Amino acid sequence: MDELLKVSGLRAGIEGKEILRGIDLTIKPGEVHAIMGPNGSGKSTLSGVLAGDPRFTVTGGTAMFHGVDLLSLSPEDRSHEGLFLSFQYPVEIPGVTMVNFMRAAVNAKRKYLNEEPLSAGDFLKLMRQKRAIVELDNKLASRSVNEGFSGGEKKRNEIFQMAVLEPRLSILDETDSGLDIDALRIVAGGVNKLKTENNATIVITHYQRLLDYIKPDFVHILYKGRIVYSGGPELALELEEKGYDWIKEQVDQQQNESL
Amino acid sequence: MNRTDALSQYLDLADENDALLNKDLRRTLWHIHNFGEAALGKIIANGWTPAQTTPPMCYPEALFGEDYGVNLARVPMPADVAASFRCGVPKLSSLLAIVANDAFTPTDALSANCPEGLTVTSLRSLEGELWRDAEEMMMDRADSPSPGAAINSLLLQDGVYIRTEAGTEVEKAVQVVNLFNSPVPLLTPRRVLVHAMPGSKVRVLLCDHSQTPSVAHCNIEVVDVWVEEDASVEIYDIEESSANTRRSWHLNVVQCAGSSLSVDTFFLAGGASQNNITVALAGPRAHTRLGGLAITSGSQQVDTQVQLYHRAPHCDSRQLFKSALFDTSRGGFGGCIVVDNGAVGTDAAQSNRNMLADPGTHMATAPQLEIYCDDVKCSHGATTGQLDERALFYMQTRGIPAEEARRMLTQAFMADVVDNISFEVLRQRMHVLVEKRLSGASASCDTCATACHGDTNPETVAE
Amino acid sequence: MNDDIEKNNAQKKSSEDNDTLSRATSGEYKYGFTSDIDTEIIPAGLSEDVIRLISQKKGEPEWLLDFRLKAFRHWQTLTPPTWAHLKIPEIDFQSISYYAAPKAKDRPKRLDEVDPALLDTFNRLGIPIEEQKALSGMAVDAVLDSVSVKTTHRERLAELGIIFCSFSEAVKEYPDLVRKYLGKVVGYRDNFYAALNSAVFSDGSFVYIPKGVRCPMELSTYFRINASGTGQFERTLIVADDDAYVSYLEGCTAPMRDENQLHAAIVEIIVEERAEVKYSTVQNWYAGDAQGRGGVYNFVTKRGLCRGDHSKLSWTQVETGSAITWKYPSCILAGDGAVGEFYSVAVTNNYQQADTGTKMVHIGSNTRSTIVSKGISAGHSENSYRGLVKVDKKAEGVRNYTQCDSLLLSDSCGAHTFPVIDVANASAVVEHEATTSKISEQQIFYCNQRGIPTEEAVALIVNGYAKEVMNKLPMEFAVEAQKLLAITLEGSVG
Repeated sequence: MDELLKVSGLRAGIEGKEILRGIDLTIKPGEVHAIMGPNGSGKSTLSGVLAGDPRFTVTGGTAMFHGVDLLSLSPEDRSHEGLFLSFQYPVEIPGVTMVNFMRAAVNAKRKYLNEEPLSAGDFLKLMRQKRAIVELDNKLASRSVNEGFSGGEKKRNEIFQMAVLEPRLSILDETDSGLDIDALRIVAGGVNKLKTENNATIVITHYQRLLDYIKPDFVHILYKGRIVYSGGPELALELEEKGYDWIKEQVDQQQNESL
Repeated sequence: MNRTDALSQYLDLADENDALLNKDLRRTLWHIHNFGEAALGKIIANGWTPAQTTPPMCYPEALFGEDYGVNLARVPMPADVAASFRCGVPKLSSLLAIVANDAFTPTDALSANCPEGLTVTSLRSLEGELWRDAEEMMMDRADSPSPGAAINSLLLQDGVYIRTEAGTEVEKAVQVVNLFNSPVPLLTPRRVLVHAMPGSKVRVLLCDHSQTPSVAHCNIEVVDVWVEEDASVEIYDIEESSANTRRSWHLNVVQCAGSSLSVDTFFLAGGASQNNITVALAGPRAHTRLGGLAITSGSQQVDTQVQLYHRAPHCDSRQLFKSALFDTSRGGFGGCIVVDNGAVGTDAAQSNRNMLADPGTHMATAPQLEIYCDDVKCSHGATTGQLDERALFYMQTRGIPAEEARRMLTQAFMADVVDNISFEVLRQRMHVLVEKRLSGASASCDTCATACHGDTNPETVAE
Repeated sequence: MNDDIEKNNAQKKSSEDNDTLSRATSGEYKYGFTSDIDTEIIPAGLSEDVIRLISQKKGEPEWLLDFRLKAFRHWQTLTPPTWAHLKIPEIDFQSISYYAAPKAKDRPKRLDEVDPALLDTFNRLGIPIEEQKALSGMAVDAVLDSVSVKTTHRERLAELGIIFCSFSEAVKEYPDLVRKYLGKVVGYRDNFYAALNSAVFSDGSFVYIPKGVRCPMELSTYFRINASGTGQFERTLIVADDDAYVSYLEGCTAPMRDENQLHAAIVEIIVEERAEVKYSTVQNWYAGDAQGRGGVYNFVTKRGLCRGDHSKLSWTQVETGSAITWKYPSCILAGDGAVGEFYSVAVTNNYQQADTGTKMVHIGSNTRSTIVSKGISAGHSENSYRGLVKVDKKAEGVRNYTQCDSLLLSDSCGAHTFPVIDVANASAVVEHEATTSKISEQQIFYCNQRGIPTEEAVALIVNGYAKEVMNKLPMEFAVEAQKLLAITLEGSVG
């Protein structure tokens, strides 16, 4: 099958400090990839760079998204092309209601695809329908984006937005952080419901826990800005058991030898 | 023109046209003229320094330094202007008074709908008891030391007198529409008096519109408000004039025990606007809420100076002033809260937030506290910055184009000022006007039949 | 009727409060002694002749005399500033003596050559030079009235190339350095008192930290006005060259006198690339008595120029003394990435007046500044914060945060806040927050209930309130400053 995302030799950094040192990653439709790694390995940088976070500077490599040069697009066009990032820390936007926010998002995408804007009735119907997926209270709709939301509500709100925007590729950045077991189940359930053979998911996580609910096809270990190991779901279990130290030792040793 | 020349030209004008100026006028207006003359003379002799935060286009020489004409001969305005006016605030059936330049022009709707206990009339037409009341109110601050107020007193010819009798609650808003319409540069001094007797309630909407936007206009308005015991006054001021308009605005309020005051000012379009709000909480347990919103673009400059005096115990005050600056516009804000010794239980808070959107903008702010009493709770905060970059990125990742995200965030930044408007019809209308203003469309009340939002107003057109 | 009863109760309570207050305010000025040292004073009055005499007594070069005369001529065209929130009685500048020096034939070479009475003065101040020299590792320059008396640790510092000496010595021994930097940050045209100081300054300290040197010990100056009828006009010049670091402490005291004494100092600091200067002050000039008689007029111009990229200047001040304080330690952040800080505690009691704050002028890009000001007013005092944060049109990415709080301890004092924030670059983020409130009766009651007397409770609460600033002081000073806060506020709350 065709490649949905092909990342080659991707290098990026922040304020002159290099964090990603050559990432290679290929994702096909229908696949779920987990990216794991110790703190500071570059996991969130990778998701930020793919989504176009202006804080990071790309210094090398390419990222092709179903044939489109992802890195040349603005963040909003990446979204229109079907890339979705579930933020580790969803941003609070006081004064902008969820309804206005989502209507702007939906209609911007429709405009990009040369479609007519959604009527108010259809839009509200869509909201209702998608809210059910993550059991999101409809009262949240009239509140400002993420403002005063609990940790669980924020993450459910992310998945709700994902449901509305129907992306080809979703990147879930530490979606499990700060969630209790019930919220985790709801969030993971939402992600699974949205899974089809045409879309793909990248799950970025520190722990195995989330992977009990969202089963990955591939697991990658990111360390010092490179993918140092790739394997099947069993790799995640091995990590859970042994921690990251053995990986670090192995990689650091290899580096020393090569010097 | 330098500062002295800019100011003394009005002394000369008044001197040379003494007969014309005082023609058909009552003695009291002469007194006001004399007060104005003395005050302006003092200002010229001692020199006048604008507040440190005031931007240059709001200095006296910039506001008053043109070669303006003054309609001392009382040349009448075309009458159909008033007849054709229809306000664009939907569902707002207001009691409408038109002030054409500086001449009060009553409307049929006003005389037909004016409820009992409410007086809305021309300053010049007042008689007997009411005249003495107006007299007292005007004299109260006639020697006010600021140049704009002094020129206003010196050349004052007419204005609006609004009074609610004890216990009267006026349901409809009294709307005073100030129309500017002149083929030549004109300076118009105008006085609005609002006297709310004990236990009465009134809402006053002041709108500035320019019908000849290409002509220079200087608008000096002094609004004197007395809020008697347990009375409630709401003042809404909407400035929506032309780039050639210079405004000098002075709101002076005295509040008695248990009274409430709410003031909201909106700058949507204009040239340079210098605003002074002075409120004295003279009686205990009074409440004050002041709000202000300024959206400036092009080379607009807006200055707001607030003086709030807590003179009596157990009063509270809340202030929220926000501005969003675009292009090369400039803003100034000064806000001083003074708490007298003895004003125990004072609870005062002031907030000033500014958003600089473009590299050429400039904002100066000075929130000040002067406190002479220990049993108080006072705070102020001021911030000047930009839109939240993280929020902007977040919105972009959801597919919202950067420009639209910026507009939505700016609107959200302004939302709480608009939400504070207690007059619901106007609140809804202001949300729309702010949105339109930010999306670059004309922010005018577009259903207004006076056509003062004519398409020649460059400041309301998209950047 | 009920209202009346309540009012009576309230009055009764407040008079009880006042009793407690006056009982506790009886804490006397602990540093109010005069030193019986032979002093040479020139007659009162100011003229070009007096300036020539000062310059001659100090054996100054021609260029310095010229500088003084220029400043004096400019000063004559000025009038004292009136914009501060202060009531300043008219000062007769001709009734002040502009030079007072302890009589000594030659400067002492060793400590035991110093007049024993003078040493005793410092010991009573809690500044044991002997001890300091031996134990604490702090280098001290003591300025009595107008003349620098003793600088310790010079040899050790000299090994590192650090110059720490009296201003007069610096003029003699390092004329090129002094000439290069004198008046470059605070010009004699800067303001009335700066002009006066530039004309008549008698001594002060000079510090030069060479490139790459971290000064291994705190440098410290103690200022004391001793002779009556004299003014003190010292001048401090600190230069930190590239990558240098120094922490500098300044302490001030004066004896109790009925008349007011004038102190008009200048501090100039130049911070070069990546260098850092910490300047800490504990100001405890005589504040006058409980009726507001006497006390020092403290009119000081302090300013630092962060000229180099990534330079840093940090001001910390604890102001408890003086009848009138007029001072605004400021930072000109000219280098890119420069950092300015201002941490201040200002306490006023009785009839003291303080108008103090800072200016942060952001000229360089990515410059940052922090202002934390804590004002505490008691008695009949007036305490004002005055600040300016200015962001130049060309300064990109500037950040400022200002927090300024006032605590009121009596119903007849004043607490004021006068900040001006002027932002001409749209990439700046500037935040200012201020609060004013009364000391919490609940907190005092809570302390009382736990057996802590009110006076101690107030000191405790105020110290807690000021902690953020106190923590910025070097250890040696923090203890002294804490004691000073307690002494200044003794019994100011009932």
